[in-house]
Amino acid sequence: MIRFDHVSAAYAVQTPVVRDASFTIDNGEFVAFVGTNGAGKSTTMRLCNGLLKPTAGRVLVDGVPTTELRTSDLARRVGFLFQNPDRQICCKTVREELEFGFRAQDALTDEARARVDATIERFGFDANAEPYLLNRGTRQLLALASIIVMEPDTIILDEPTTGLDFHECEKVMGAIADLHTRGKTIVMVCHDMEVVADYAERVIVMTAGEVVASGPTFEVLRQRAVLERAGLIAPQVVDVSLRLVERHPELAGTPIATANTLDEMVAAIEAYAAGAKEAAR
Amino acid sequence: MIEISNLSFRYREGEDLALRNVSLTIPSGQFVGVTGAAGSGKSTLTYAINGIVPHCYPGDFYGAVRIDGHDTAETSLTDLSRLVGSVCQDIDSQMVSSVVEDEMLFGLENFGFPKDEIEGRVTRALADMGISDLRDRAISSLSGGQKQKVAVAAILAMEPAVLVLDEPTAELDPASSKGVFDLLARYARIHGTTVVVVEQKIALLSAYADRILIVKDGGVYLDGAPADVLAHADELRESGINCPRATSLANRLRARGLYAGPVCRNVDDAVAAVEEVIA
Amino acid sequence: MKGFLEYVPGDSLLHKMNPVAKLAVSLLIIFACFITQSFVALIAILVLDYAFAAHCKMMPQTVGLTKAVAGFSAILALIALFTVPAGAVLAPLPWGYIGTGSILAAVRIVLRLVACAIPLFLTFYVTKINDISNALVKVCHVPYRYAFVFSSTVHFIPVFMNDMSGIMEAQTARGVEFDGGFAKKVRLMVPLCVPLLVSSVRKTNSAAIAAEVRGFNLRTRASGYKEYPFAGRDVCALALACALFAASFLV
Repeated sequence: MIRFDHVSAAYAVQTPVVRDASFTIDNGEFVAFVGTNGAGKSTTMRLCNGLLKPTAGRVLVDGVPTTELRTSDLARRVGFLFQNPDRQICCKTVREELEFGFRAQDALTDEARARVDATIERFGFDANAEPYLLNRGTRQLLALASIIVMEPDTIILDEPTTGLDFHECEKVMGAIADLHTRGKTIVMVCHDMEVVADYAERVIVMTAGEVVASGPTFEVLRQRAVLERAGLIAPQVVDVSLRLVERHPELAGTPIATANTLDEMVAAIEAYAAGAKEAAR
Repeated sequence: MIEISNLSFRYREGEDLALRNVSLTIPSGQFVGVTGAAGSGKSTLTYAINGIVPHCYPGDFYGAVRIDGHDTAETSLTDLSRLVGSVCQDIDSQMVSSVVEDEMLFGLENFGFPKDEIEGRVTRALADMGISDLRDRAISSLSGGQKQKVAVAAILAMEPAVLVLDEPTAELDPASSKGVFDLLARYARIHGTTVVVVEQKIALLSAYADRILIVKDGGVYLDGAPADVLAHADELRESGINCPRATSLANRLRARGLYAGPVCRNVDDAVAAVEEVIA
Repeated sequence: MKGFLEYVPGDSLLHKMNPVAKLAVSLLIIFACFITQSFVALIAILVLDYAFAAHCKMMPQTVGLTKAVAGFSAILALIALFTVPAGAVLAPLPWGYIGTGSILAAVRIVLRLVACAIPLFLTFYVTKINDISNALVKVCHVPYRYAFVFSSTVHFIPVFMNDMSGIMEAQTARGVEFDGGFAKKVRLMVPLCVPLLVSSVRKTNSAAIAAEVRGFNLRTRASGYKEYPFAGRDVCALALACALFAASFLV
């Protein structure tokens, strides 16, 4: 569980990049942070795992302020996937890379080795491959795997899909969704609203360092005024639904007005068209 | 403006061809979007247009690329750069200066633009990208998104006949990405600039580009107007590209026999399509 | 270390001075520091340094720099303390003695290094690197190639530092504790040089290409858009610095 209690933070002498933020992320949630460049999302992520300490307020991880936790304690609880896998990868083989976290904590036990083996198998890696020769998507997956293997309860992802093509993106997000179904807490910063719509359960909107909205994914993404203020664009299906209702007030109250996914929208239109045909007859 | 004939290329350290027998003509003022899966050869295609291949990356080069009639293999990279402005993928290494203003000046000074024009060009390009306020900032103090805008502005200031951009919106939020594409489309329309942009976000390409190229295994797999390319949803998916949801929505309605109109490129089209179905 | 040696915008007199004049004044002050043996002169230069710093609002950076240089020069001072037997004997050593003169020598080293470091660092803080290299090309006729190498090197320092801190952050997030002892820290840092090297090789390669496609090879002395004329204030500053330099021989 992560709780922000009136948190502000700033780098060096600049104006604060996070201002008086308060929210709670419960165990097992899948939360996405959205907002424009410079809204303070990445800083919030750094605050979550203690890479940055707040200048005011408290960040609590499992009830303990991050200022009181040791780096290794924090790393055990909260895993962090950075946007650029090349900053993380530093070993000569895939296996060493996966073992790195254990080695850093002098905890490379037989059990740890077994977990590494299981992870290699699950992701279908070549254990002896040299990480730098893998392509970008596989490197990102390896970086993710080397965090998953440590089994932290919470995993933070800073734009996990940037620079990936659709297949790679599906692979990475699939692995993350899988973790979530196994009860892990997922906190993600993401610019791709379609990915947010597909995977997140809750959305927190940030603008100029402040939390301006928080709630179930589609409840937030349907608030046009909030999105506009935050410089965001609704996912396309939601956008279609909103615009249809704006132009045809009679659609309010029909399933078209509440359809959020492609499947829901197609079903809603089909039902509406069938109903219209019925009425005409 | 750009003529590529039977182009194949293999990097010296590579075993497979990065580009296979590509033939392509891009007329002046066209806005071309290029996309494809990772490793499909789309970046190499941009290198072939701006001359980085074969000038900087040696390898086996077959066929010919002509920019405005100049053969890229026989023209020096510097001379080519007068015609083709490039924004590379790695923004950090593209920056040659410590301050935004100097970054803007670098290309203008080198190519010897008249000194009385320089100030106007710098001001205009910065204003076009919406970053006039960053002029005196140190580049290392900028965010990734801001740096991306500076890199694009520095090239726009030179107003090259051809603009080649490799994923210029990778680090930008949706609103800024749209802003960059609005601007590129405007340059193509008003200045007649030929724009070739590699982009993962298919929704942006389908909304803005005149023409989309799908690159697969080093070859041009699909080539046409966005509506024509998007009609091949299954082939796209197979080549690692997901159709925009607006397009998929109309396609699904079509498959159910509810919609028979044109392919949808964006949300506007999709709204119109649904209105047709429920009318 | 964020912001280390990076230009800080401003409009003080020091910001406006000609880059070449600033460099020359800094160099003259450095020479003066090394020539003079007088404590009074060194302290006077130090006061002057701090007056400059206050004028261009670089106090926090200057204080930080003073601490860093004092710390580093303390090592040299310690060596001097034990190896320069001079003045009245205070403590005998097997190879000589520590005297009042040894202490003076040690203090002088610290003062001298701090006093000469500040002007040069201030120059970097109040001058854009490109202005320094362009002015060297225009005014001193330095070939552009060398000026570019110089400015790129300085320009890449923050980029690499940023990379390094990013890499350390990524490893901290994986539970590596950099807050241990020095030996442990070094042991932990070594594997991290791999990602740094990989990224720097990639960067320098693409930076060379990026410079070339923006007409690097065409650049001549006449290319620079900005002119760097010497103003009255630059001549005055140079004259004063020359006077200081001359005075350092006398005191």
